Amino acid sequence: MPMEPWPRVGWRNLGRNRRRTVITAAGLAFGYFAIVLMNGLMAGMTAEMIENGTGFLMGQVQVHEADYLPQRSIYETIGGRDGADVEALVRALGADPAIEAAAPRVYAGGLVSSGESTTAAMLVGVDPELEPGVSRIFRGVVRGRPPVRGTKEILIGAEMARQLVVDVGEEVILVAPAADGSLGNDLFVVSGIFRSGMAELDAQFAMLPINQLQALAALAPDRVHEIAAATVDPWLAPDAAQRLAGPVSTVSTQAVVQPWTELRPEMMDYAQLAKSWGFVVIVIVFAIAIFGVANTMLLGTFERRREFAVIMAIGATPGAVLRTVLYEGLALGAISLVFGVLITLPVLLWWHNAPPDLGWLYGDFTMFGALIRPVLRVEYDVATALWAGLALLFTALLAALVPAARAARLLPADTLSGD
Amino acid sequence: MPTGIGRAGFGLYLVVGALGGLVASGEVEAQETPREIIDRVDRILRGESSHGFATMEVVTEHWERSLTMEMWSLGTEHSLVRITAPRKEAGTATLKSGDDIWNYLPRVDRTIKIPASLMMGSWMGSHFTNDDLVKESRLVEDYDIEIGFEGFREGAEVWQFVLTPRPEAAVVWGRIDFEVRKDDLMPTWARYYDEDGELVRTLQYSQYREMGGRLVPALMVMVPHDKPDEKTLIRYSDLDFDIEIDEGFFSLRALQSGGD
Repeated sequence: MPMEPWPRVGWRNLGRNRRRTVITAAGLAFGYFAIVLMNGLMAGMTAEMIENGTGFLMGQVQVHEADYLPQRSIYETIGGRDGADVEALVRALGADPAIEAAAPRVYAGGLVSSGESTTAAMLVGVDPELEPGVSRIFRGVVRGRPPVRGTKEILIGAEMARQLVVDVGEEVILVAPAADGSLGNDLFVVSGIFRSGMAELDAQFAMLPINQLQALAALAPDRVHEIAAATVDPWLAPDAAQRLAGPVSTVSTQAVVQPWTELRPEMMDYAQLAKSWGFVVIVIVFAIAIFGVANTMLLGTFERRREFAVIMAIGATPGAVLRTVLYEGLALGAISLVFGVLITLPVLLWWHNAPPDLGWLYGDFTMFGALIRPVLRVEYDVATALWAGLALLFTALLAALVPAARAARLLPADTLSGD
Repeated sequence: MPTGIGRAGFGLYLVVGALGGLVASGEVEAQETPREIIDRVDRILRGESSHGFATMEVVTEHWERSLTMEMWSLGTEHSLVRITAPRKEAGTATLKSGDDIWNYLPRVDRTIKIPASLMMGSWMGSHFTNDDLVKESRLVEDYDIEIGFEGFREGAEVWQFVLTPRPEAAVVWGRIDFEVRKDDLMPTWARYYDEDGELVRTLQYSQYREMGGRLVPALMVMVPHDKPDEKTLIRYSDLDFDIEIDEGFFSLRALQSGGD
């Protein structure tokens, strides 16, 4: 069966007023560009938030005794008073395909003091060799270096260092209520100072070798409060946590495995909100575009009303005219889409690989306790790009509907005889 | 903190005893306002200076321990408590000077100042707070005082005072109820409520004995309301009042040099 001529007619009609076609297509293309880029930026910010919020210290999966959070009581160690086989736990977590690395931690509230100044601190006992695989806290070291296993060294936040007026190499006193009721106290040397950009972390957190904190807090070496783990991708964490519940419960029946989505539900909510916003943006942008396109096409079909009258007079059906105009709209959409992809892709590639720094416009800020850098970071978002493309074609088609219907309803005799 | 009378503290409480013979002449006159009575109780219980020994037993869900200590005080502004046993903590000392609290840690031979943010933190793992040590002399200044009950209870004639913080006072309690025996001005208990009116803790006084020539409650028991199985007991074994001691004794240098 020979192909009907109407798609071709529709396509060629676009060429009759090229300037108008280009302007209209540019409008649609730019709408597409805006949608894909904006969603990419939103996704970038969400990713930034999740990566920094979970990656800096928290990790994407954590194991605790069930009652440990949120009080962080020093007594609620994994496995209770008897402790647990920490190495076995770390191994069990590390064996999961989604887990990159795992490390044990001990927490104790205490005081850090130097000279006249004393400040309350959250002391975090970490394994200096395992910790870098899980969190980026050591990468935040701006002076000195992380503490070394087996030494009485401590890494403190920049704000704490400022408050205590101490620098690398100087001595601080740690005081912590110990698990046996005594007042643990000892001298430590500041091995390094970190800056995370997060006010709470920089002012209150201090990291020291895990065995040193256990000694200070009168906890046996097999008593830890947390195993933190990093996943290959943050979104793999919920499934990994579910898989790990079994192996972990064989070590301690009271222990729970939680992904960041449970530990920080507000981050999860934000990520979902950002995603749903993408669709709202698509609707808004194309709702605006639809009137511009419809207007142009109304004008175009009005100009050609005599033509339509002629072809209908010589035998074309109203349906054929309708299809011609619809095909024209679709073709316009297709051109716009190609154009849109062509202008979007390079910017997307550029901003994904080398996000422009907006540091001159605004500084770092934190959201849900996660640091957000002032950069235009763009994440690839294939789903949005596809949806936006479909929406663009649909918009063009929808905009052509009224002009097409009007053209199809022309009465040839009246149109040709009169005005 | 609320210890003007609460004498939850240590050095301070020594003070508590301060009456002894005074009691006889301490008959309160009928026209006195509650504020005057409390102030009077406060003054009577506070010797010019004091020196004593006590044992503190702390019982928590997780551990029990006992500390023995030696204490000195001068007026309302100065006190010093030095732990003498167990060995692990012997030598640890707390110096109160005005509104500041310092801890001396013999293990590291250093002194640290307790920051304002930790005033409500536990003192030596007990159910007393650092704040209890500091605010001892401020009840009359920080609270409005009324008589909530006056009459016989358990065979003794008592006042129950109700202390509510003044609007401008920087205090942590929403209300303190404080019972005092009329005949000898001995405190019997104090109850501390938070800002929502919830009972937080109860301090019970008992074993009234004469020490250093004054009648004192030799035993104080603090019980936190949310953990009724936990408690801190302070038992005074020896007390002396109006001893020869000067402000220099309560200096940081003296604190660090170890007292002996």
